[in-house]
Amino acid sequence: MREYGLLGSNILDSDFSFEIKIKEGAGAFVCGEETALIGSIEGKRGMPRSRPPFPAIAGLFGSPTIINNVETLGTLPNILRNGPDWYTRFGKEGNRGTKTFSLVGKIRRPGLIEVQLGTTLREIIFDIGGGVQKPFKAIQTGGPSGGCLSEEFLDLTVDYESLASAGSIMGSGGLIVMDEDTCIVDLAKYFLDFTQKESCGKCVPCRVGTKHILEILQRITEGEGSPDDLLALRTLGDTIKKGALCGLGQTAPNPVLTTLRYFRNEYLEHIKDHTCRATVCKSLIEYRVIKEKCTGCQSCVRVCPTGAITGPRSEPHNLDASKCIKCRSCYEICRYDAIAGDAIVIRTAERQS
Amino acid sequence: MTKEKKVSITIDNRKVEAKAKTTILQAARDNNIDIPSLCALEHLPSYGACRLCVVEVDGIRGFPTSCTTPVEDGMVIRTDTAEVRTLRQEVLKLLLSEHPASCLFCEEQTDCKNFQGTIRKVGVTTGCRYCPNDDMCELQEVTKKVGLTETSYPVYYRNFPVEKEDPFYDRDYNLCLLCGRCVRVCNDVRLNGTLSFKQRGKMTTIGPAFGRSHLEAGCEFCGACVAVCPTGALSAKASKWSGKPDEVVESTCPYCPIGCTLDLKVKAGEVVDVSADYDSPTEHGLICVKGRFAIPEYVLSPDRLARPTILKPEGYDFLPWEEALDEAAAKLKAAGPKNTFVVVSPQLSNEDLFVAQRFAREVIGTEAILSSVIFDLGSDLRSFVDLVVMSEQIDTIEETKGILTIGLDTTYGFTPLGIAVKKAAKKGAILVTVSEHECNLDMLSEEAFQSDAAKWPEFMDGIMKSMSGNGTRKSKAAAPLFKKGDRNVVIIGPDAVFSGKRKEIFERVLAMRDNLGWKVIVCHPYTNLMGMLAMGALPGLKPGGLKSDGVLKLKDPAGVVDLKQNRKVGYFIGEAPSPEMPKCEYLIYENALPAPSGFDPNLILPAGLFTESPGTTISSEGKILTFNRASAPFAESKPDWWIISGIAARMKKGALKYSSLAAIQSEIKKSIPGFSGKERRVPRKKVVMEGKAAAAGNPFGPCRDAAAPAAFRGVPLHDHVAGMKAIEERRHK
Repeated sequence: MREYGLLGSNILDSDFSFEIKIKEGAGAFVCGEETALIGSIEGKRGMPRSRPPFPAIAGLFGSPTIINNVETLGTLPNILRNGPDWYTRFGKEGNRGTKTFSLVGKIRRPGLIEVQLGTTLREIIFDIGGGVQKPFKAIQTGGPSGGCLSEEFLDLTVDYESLASAGSIMGSGGLIVMDEDTCIVDLAKYFLDFTQKESCGKCVPCRVGTKHILEILQRITEGEGSPDDLLALRTLGDTIKKGALCGLGQTAPNPVLTTLRYFRNEYLEHIKDHTCRATVCKSLIEYRVIKEKCTGCQSCVRVCPTGAITGPRSEPHNLDASKCIKCRSCYEICRYDAIAGDAIVIRTAERQS
Repeated sequence: MTKEKKVSITIDNRKVEAKAKTTILQAARDNNIDIPSLCALEHLPSYGACRLCVVEVDGIRGFPTSCTTPVEDGMVIRTDTAEVRTLRQEVLKLLLSEHPASCLFCEEQTDCKNFQGTIRKVGVTTGCRYCPNDDMCELQEVTKKVGLTETSYPVYYRNFPVEKEDPFYDRDYNLCLLCGRCVRVCNDVRLNGTLSFKQRGKMTTIGPAFGRSHLEAGCEFCGACVAVCPTGALSAKASKWSGKPDEVVESTCPYCPIGCTLDLKVKAGEVVDVSADYDSPTEHGLICVKGRFAIPEYVLSPDRLARPTILKPEGYDFLPWEEALDEAAAKLKAAGPKNTFVVVSPQLSNEDLFVAQRFAREVIGTEAILSSVIFDLGSDLRSFVDLVVMSEQIDTIEETKGILTIGLDTTYGFTPLGIAVKKAAKKGAILVTVSEHECNLDMLSEEAFQSDAAKWPEFMDGIMKSMSGNGTRKSKAAAPLFKKGDRNVVIIGPDAVFSGKRKEIFERVLAMRDNLGWKVIVCHPYTNLMGMLAMGALPGLKPGGLKSDGVLKLKDPAGVVDLKQNRKVGYFIGEAPSPEMPKCEYLIYENALPAPSGFDPNLILPAGLFTESPGTTISSEGKILTFNRASAPFAESKPDWWIISGIAARMKKGALKYSSLAAIQSEIKKSIPGFSGKERRVPRKKVVMEGKAAAAGNPFGPCRDAAAPAAFRGVPLHDHVAGMKAIEERRHK
């Protein structure tokens, strides 16, 4: 652009000058928060600071600063080209225009999509995404600090208010689709692990609170949880939401709070029955060979990294539970006998049976 | 004066006035409404990390922190609603789960203290009773204020190793709340930038970047971080286990002529710790390592001279004061005025100096009142005194456009001045540093010249020439930086004062001052040099040397007395003998700590130190400052003036009959200008040389050409203060 005189001082010989400078960040999640972003650009540690003063009054190097996402800037040329009337044709009242999403997860056609605001989740998942192979379970909207919505929200329209009312956010525009192979507690743990690591460490609720949530979730996935933990999660989540300094902290408990709300039963199963219905939580599951079904094909013997499965060819194999690291390899490979079904199964709730 | 803008706000249904632009927290505190808080602290920029000062404000979503939210007219604030209280308690619970605070909720509370003989000094702090900061901890106070009586979260001990490698203070980051006070004071107040946050999430901790030690990272060891730490995470090694001080005594730092105000913390009759006074007008609390950490260990040194001692053929032997004074008087009297000299320390108080010079002149009858200043500076004394007397105040620096520092490094001394330079440079003043090695001000300088001191005069010539229009090639880079007519200041550091080229440097600085209007500040170690001038403690200079018209008439000491003549008796008052000084057959040594090896005093008279015997000193700005008594005299030591008067009374009936400090002070008030006025400031206007100068060049052989290690009363600090050794080593690297 500079070559063509479209950027720099005196653009196209006018008295209008404009510069673009691209500054690479070091990749901290918290630097998506505007004040941390400013700090990062200033060469300081990417740590949010309190507002007011808002960046529009005192931002980068103390000067008034406007912060926009690339997506926002990306829509500008179209609006300028086609006019505001054209743009407001899209979307619904109060939520005009379109939004891009990154549609991923257990879906047939993952990818980047752009939809009108107000489209239902069902349309996005089943029409655009082509549906889910296994039964649909949940969708995480808004990235790691968004909320996890259950099947009953499939007809929810995607707009800022509806998502907020369901306890989630539009956030970064991430849509992660999950089927019944996903354990909801594990999911919450995964996101909390992320936000906990990415917390800048400045304010107490975010730094310490997320750590405690993670510890509790860890306990639950290991079958050591107690019913009181659910209340503790709730209190912690509320404290962090109310007390945290920046957007990261204020939204970090979302995955926990929404899953607690919509998938409470799964938490209770982990705590009371010590079962993980998605067979994800390793402490709650055990791998076994079903002697009647096993053909002795030795596929599993080959893939087992610890040598836990033994047995001569054509005879039912043995699985030594003490050596098994629950890596799931044998389960994945055991497809030999299509009629008889999988010879290697994952059982949960062994403690009780 | 314009009236400060006020806004009216409502806090907890009370209509109150608040200064515009202040924070809600400050406004509440000004109106005696207490909001608990840990990370906010006066003099530090607000931060908003602890989240304890949350309040509710009409029109603001959620729970804003009062320490970061500025007040606005008509604001309605609630500080104590049920929701706010719950949130505070929850946040504090989280905070305490990172801090080993089992004692806070222990039923026995302080009962265990009865059995605490040995368990307190454990390596790992697991609760308040095992913490050096017990009873002084802000977290304990806040817990009480917030009303937390139990916690529901497990405590995570973070298992950081306790850092003890650096001198002066230990760091146990397992106790750290990450309130960021230390980081802010280091970066925003001290402008030093040693400390920063490291890592993120639960791994977040504090320290210098890249895993360096504090010493390597350029820490000034000003101890500001230790002072602001609300917990026991940072603690001074020397005073770590002394507990809450019994009283705090305001005094003055005796280590350099800046004269910082110090708060001496006294425990069980001993000065155990020192803190800065941020409201002090001179240095604004920006004290250096010497004032902060080198006092308790010096005054409480196990080597302190306890009793009068005499050298006998079979060795040293104690003797009572009466006999010691008799002995001193007899020896001095026997030798007579021609065969005696007195050496005073420039670090004595005004009162001691006044009595000492009267003693020399009236009792002994000699002008041989010698001091290290004379021997260190030799024939350059006159220009040195000229520059020192006319030294500007530190505040001058902030308003200048150009700053030139010569041989100055303010890492371990003159920090208030260094920070003022940094502030000015940040504000846009042009800073040029000239030094032999890298110095701490280089970072902010426009140009940093590192060269042998021999080249400095030439460099200064270049600057002067460029200012008058003919820039030479050599200093072209720096030449156009300073403009005539601008407010410029040149600061001469100890490396310049004690360089072989000081004569030439002084000449040029004087020319810059007199011809080009530069302001001058001299950094030197002679604490009470101004007092010596005012009291007349130099050969040929009478008391009241700084006359009320501000003119100081100075004689060349070498022209008044023979400085090289060895004499029979030498009386050293608060000073240690050095090789340059004349020799004596009988050495009377009056000091608080032993003389360096190689000199065996014949008579040792233990003197009190500034923490024990009060007095006054005059700062380089001419202010009269006070040393206040903080502790009882050490063992049998006596104030210098008491010892001198005692000897005087034995030599000459009725001479120097001082029974108290007040008697000396009233005499000083009568005879020395500046002491009687309200302003407490000595006049200074002009220095003129009186009489003939002694032969050109230095009459005492090679003068001192390297800055000596920091010393007090002739005794190097690093001999008695453990941490100063590391500092001196680093300085000479």
